[in-house]
Amino acid sequence: MAEARSIVDPALDTRPIAEAPPARKRRHLLLALGIAMLLAMLLVTALGPWIAPYDAIATSPDSLAGPSTQHWLGTDSIGRDVLSRLIIGGRTTLLITFVAVSLAVAAGLVLGLVSGYVGGLADELIMRGLDIVFAFPVFLLAIAVVAALGPTVPNLILTIAIVYTPIMARVVRAPVLSVKRWDHVEAARSVGVGELRIAIVHVLPMVMSPILVQTSLTLANTIFTVTALSFLGIGPPPPDPNWGGMLSEARQFMELAPLTVIGPAVAIVFATLTFIVLANGLRDLLDVAGH
Amino acid sequence: MTRVVLVRLAWMLPILFGVSVVAFALMRALPGDFAQAAAGTADLTPEALETIRRGLGLDQPIWAQYLVWLGGLASGDFGSSFVTHKPVLGELLPRLAVTAELTLMAGAMAMALGVFTGLASARLRGRTDWFVRGFNGLLLAVPNFVVATLIVLLAGLYFPELGIFNYTPFFTDPLGNLGSMLLPAFSLALAVSVTISENTRAAVLEVSSQDFVMVARAKGLRPGAILRNYLVRNALTPVITVTGLQLASLLGGSILIETIFTIPGMGQYLFDSITSRDYPVIQAIVLVAAVIVLLVNVLVDVAYARVDARVSYG
Repeated sequence: MAEARSIVDPALDTRPIAEAPPARKRRHLLLALGIAMLLAMLLVTALGPWIAPYDAIATSPDSLAGPSTQHWLGTDSIGRDVLSRLIIGGRTTLLITFVAVSLAVAAGLVLGLVSGYVGGLADELIMRGLDIVFAFPVFLLAIAVVAALGPTVPNLILTIAIVYTPIMARVVRAPVLSVKRWDHVEAARSVGVGELRIAIVHVLPMVMSPILVQTSLTLANTIFTVTALSFLGIGPPPPDPNWGGMLSEARQFMELAPLTVIGPAVAIVFATLTFIVLANGLRDLLDVAGH
Repeated sequence: MTRVVLVRLAWMLPILFGVSVVAFALMRALPGDFAQAAAGTADLTPEALETIRRGLGLDQPIWAQYLVWLGGLASGDFGSSFVTHKPVLGELLPRLAVTAELTLMAGAMAMALGVFTGLASARLRGRTDWFVRGFNGLLLAVPNFVVATLIVLLAGLYFPELGIFNYTPFFTDPLGNLGSMLLPAFSLALAVSVTISENTRAAVLEVSSQDFVMVARAKGLRPGAILRNYLVRNALTPVITVTGLQLASLLGGSILIETIFTIPGMGQYLFDSITSRDYPVIQAIVLVAAVIVLLVNVLVDVAYARVDARVSYG
């Protein structure tokens, strides 16, 4: 049989690709890497005010300086320390990201669970309502809402929560539809457990895997949306730093001080990569089918 | 077939209605007074404000305002810019054409790159597969505006004679126009190519395991012919669908890319309007983009149903 396999075109080989024994180890490596990156990022931003070498909004006459022992990443066009601004800016960017995604997940859980579990008219109403939000390109809708409401941190959080709620609700609803027909749900009902309790205790834990993966992916997308909005000038108001705003401000003089652009660029890529790695690690661990 | 199209189009109507309500509500949710925003200044006598208010129809009930606005839309009246006081549509259309060109170029590039890497990944497997997937993961993590900014930085540092900000209108110099769009389209295409690549890979792997490919091999067809006539052709259907569905992110990305490369398209128009708080323009652009995305999604669905007999809509 082994010889027979070997002469067959590899494209005809129907075995799943990642089934070889070493893959199992690699999977958990991915998750471990993701967690390590996340912890590093959280640690640096949480300790921000204590480890940042300078005041992030204090200007100095020493503008557009190259990297030196005083300023590891140099200074920007009005003499602010780039490293300090990166560390402090990460707080704003990540805070908006985490709070907004938490809200989107909470709203998605409620809407998806009600929609999938209750079904019928409630399902129709919720899903059609979300279809409308879904019809807008995420980024354009975010721009329109933030432009209308005004670019403040609470408005950014609210906007991002709104644009990512539909996808979360869909991810919750789909597995609920099948899990609610499983035998253990019927068994719980037959011994008189209330519907609300069934939904929360017997259905919800069964559908957590895809939700976790989607949450991680949404975190990656949100980093993009937050930094892109800030890049366009509708992020958190200056002078407080944030990654997207820093990248945008630095463009004017970037040929003189490339690090002012490369710093925030690397930070944005690192944060996004963290959540993508985490999502893939979780997907492998929890065995969620890729989409 | 006709039924599929009709059902899909019928579904579009309530969504379009919802989209228009959201776009309308956005304008009325502006902080402060709409009439004040329209005048562009807070220094107004109450009488002058009242005149503007009546001119905009703001003294009517909200549903009447909505109907008037909707009626205007139907006849191509998207309102007038707060800044230039000219109709928005006239300014929007030429910019839409520029954005369409950028988006199509980026879409084509993304497809070429994505299909190539996806095919390589699925056919060669092993190291190539791991390399492509790692590369894709990395590409996914670099937002398009970061790519664009880094391209501008590199060009400025090492190729200052390149002149990447020289946007040339198509009808002045078609070749120069395509040349000036190359780098912007490339920065837009990279992230989108990842989705196409992964879908190509999955589709080719799926088709490879089908019996008819085995039969083709058994009857002695050359591998090249199998690849061309069986694998690529069959795998292309889902790939085209996915490319169509990426339009929303291409349109969203074009706002950033046009701003960075100073291309006078819809995205830059939107950026300028945000800066000058020109709300009717923002509203028109969001509305037009949503409708385009909606239409393309329906087209993709219908095309998919047409080529794949297994798909049916109840």
